[in-house]
Amino acid sequence: MTHALSEDDIYRTSTQYRLWSFSPESLAALRKKTHDLALERAQRYACNDNGDVEFLTQEEELRLVQRYCDQVRTTSDHFKWPVNVEATAVQYLTRFYLTNSTLTYPPKEIYKTVLFLACKTEATHMTLSEYARRISTEAEVVLAPEYKVMQALRFTLDVRQPFRALKGALMELLNLAEGMVGGEDGDGDGEELQAQMLDVPPPPQGSKTQWKHPGAGKVGAEQLHDRIQAAYSAARNLLDAPALLTDVYLLYTPSQILLAALQLADEPLTSFYLSTKLFASDSLTRPKILATISACADMLAAFSPSQVLTKDDRNALEAKLERCRDPSTRDLVKAFAAMRQDGSGEEGEGVRKRRRLEREKSQKEGDDLFGPSLQRPKANGAGG
Amino acid sequence: MATSPALDVPPEQPPHKRQKTATTTSSLHKPNPSSPPTTDVASHLDTLERSKYRKGAKLGSGQYADVFSATLISDPTRIVAIKKIKVGPEAREFGISYDSLREIKFLQELEHPNIIKLHAVFSTKNQNLNLVLEHLPQGDLLKLIQDTANISYTPADIKAWMLQLMRATWFCHQNYILHRDIKPNNLLIAANGEIKLADFGLARSFADPFQPMTYNTITIWYRPPELFFQAQYYGDRVDIWSSRDVLFRAWPETEMGMVKLICEKVGTPTESNWPGVSKLKGYVTPSEITPLRPFEYWKQSFRAIGDTGVDLLMKMLTLDPRKRLSADMVLRHGYWTAEPRPSRLEDLPRKGGGAEAMGEDLTRRGGEVPEVNGKGGGKGGKRGDGVARKIDFGGLG
Repeated sequence: MTHALSEDDIYRTSTQYRLWSFSPESLAALRKKTHDLALERAQRYACNDNGDVEFLTQEEELRLVQRYCDQVRTTSDHFKWPVNVEATAVQYLTRFYLTNSTLTYPPKEIYKTVLFLACKTEATHMTLSEYARRISTEAEVVLAPEYKVMQALRFTLDVRQPFRALKGALMELLNLAEGMVGGEDGDGDGEELQAQMLDVPPPPQGSKTQWKHPGAGKVGAEQLHDRIQAAYSAARNLLDAPALLTDVYLLYTPSQILLAALQLADEPLTSFYLSTKLFASDSLTRPKILATISACADMLAAFSPSQVLTKDDRNALEAKLERCRDPSTRDLVKAFAAMRQDGSGEEGEGVRKRRRLEREKSQKEGDDLFGPSLQRPKANGAGG
Repeated sequence: MATSPALDVPPEQPPHKRQKTATTTSSLHKPNPSSPPTTDVASHLDTLERSKYRKGAKLGSGQYADVFSATLISDPTRIVAIKKIKVGPEAREFGISYDSLREIKFLQELEHPNIIKLHAVFSTKNQNLNLVLEHLPQGDLLKLIQDTANISYTPADIKAWMLQLMRATWFCHQNYILHRDIKPNNLLIAANGEIKLADFGLARSFADPFQPMTYNTITIWYRPPELFFQAQYYGDRVDIWSSRDVLFRAWPETEMGMVKLICEKVGTPTESNWPGVSKLKGYVTPSEITPLRPFEYWKQSFRAIGDTGVDLLMKMLTLDPRKRLSADMVLRHGYWTAEPRPSRLEDLPRKGGGAEAMGEDLTRRGGEVPEVNGKGGGKGGKRGDGVARKIDFGGLG
């Protein structure tokens, strides 16, 4: 009768899966297309000038967006907002630039908007005026691109994140260490697993965890506890800059991301953890899952903070951008106001037309012996 | 296309691919290329979505939104409702409102037969958000149960409605979403009699532990005691309390009145039946303590739902949210499989104010209550007059 939904089933209904998950190839193709479209358009607006304009390369565009993802992070920290606001805002910015070019919308003019939008959708309350004041900007500047952003996000606002799940993994590992959890495939009870866990080999050289094997002798319960906590902290750090400033959210699921982070932190511990979840005998999906986690881990490990543009590099790039950007989107605030005006103008036209028809009708009726019928002012009619 | 390393099932084609197929199939609706100054894929898709519908009659108009009926241009037999969100004066202070964002955010993620379907969202030139929603022509459950003159319903009908509501609630909670505004006028009725939970303007995701939430939520008649006592950490159980709109026959104007009523009908929340309650910031109860009402007391009022029904009801309206059933536990209760079985869809009463009622319901902001003399309903009942507007279990003997 009841169809049990697995977590995977539920995840597949999410907009993050349906619209914002890619294969590396399809992601690259989409970005290339966006960049090419922008260049194509640029040829048109640039030919008015005396040629020889140098445009941002696709690589430069990506670097600039990454720099502003980092900017979103620091701004969010400035407000002391929870990490889910930060992660959502960064994803909004990343998603925005999948179909928009920095040539059309320089990220400097977008990042404040996505952060404010994320603050709203992640249930963190701050008024626009306070937000604008604290980042020394005009409220209109924050609001002007808001619809543009919504549109680019295809009106999907939910961002699935790995943070809570990582906490879940921490609790589960702690429970395993206490001997409170039995294995998934029924072999071994809690105590057996606990014993196995104490025997897990130490993390190899180069692991991100701060925990060190005490050297001689066996690992005790207390040391195991420390090991788990240290693995958690290291993984949590990896979920900050490395996860937010690379493409992992577009290529992997939140659970794959957190397991990848945990693996970089303490590989043997993670592999033990996974062995309690995956049937060793499953030769079909198990290798696939492990390979996926490793690929994600490689991407996280390849990140280094030095890849993010320095302020000088950014300024240089933005100076270049200034010379080649699309002039039609230069003044978003004005465009925003005009758009509003346009909209009401459009509606106004409808109203004017209706009034004219009414006037003509009453004029016609005016010829009637009894005069025109009495008009009652109408409430707003159907809008555009 | 190469498959994603992330997922066994390859993800949907990226937006630009889908757009191509869409244009070839409906070259008629190609947007005017000259209109937007810059066309990118997303705005192109937006235009495409907008041009799919032909707007029809206005079903309702409120402070917050206008609702139109509309048809698909490609298939005029398919009717949808378009909710056009108005830009209010608060836009200057917030931009796009929290309510609209919440509604869009959550409905985009939820697909369930008992939750209103959001087909699409598009924006119009003057930057209004338009939500394309499932058309639910039979009005809402409130109007239906108010219409005692024309409609009678059986315990089996109630069971069928409740079951659908609980499934919707269960699904929200499975997705870590709290609805926080479950009430009969947010339950719309589909053409086939199905109940659809609507209005996610007050919804939010489950908070992380220790992250405070607002207690000032849920229309007061459906609000659980922990929120009256200003708890800032709560969970899915708040929706369970709301789900059971049957116990109280009066509709007090104030929060204190509601607390009094709860104490009288269920029992006074005390440290013994709800450890920790007295530490809640807003904990106030009438000085005279009513002990927890026993099974027999409940049974007197709710004969019609039988012993298992009373048992379930008591467990859903348990004061202490930690002991209150979760949606999952509710669905596993014996009530649903006990006689009488829930009515079949085709046997359920339908008319609950018609499409206008939907129009009216959808124009409200989350948490708002209908006007006293709302046009569509027109049962002349004053808002405070609860006699006609609740599911009357007692009367169904």
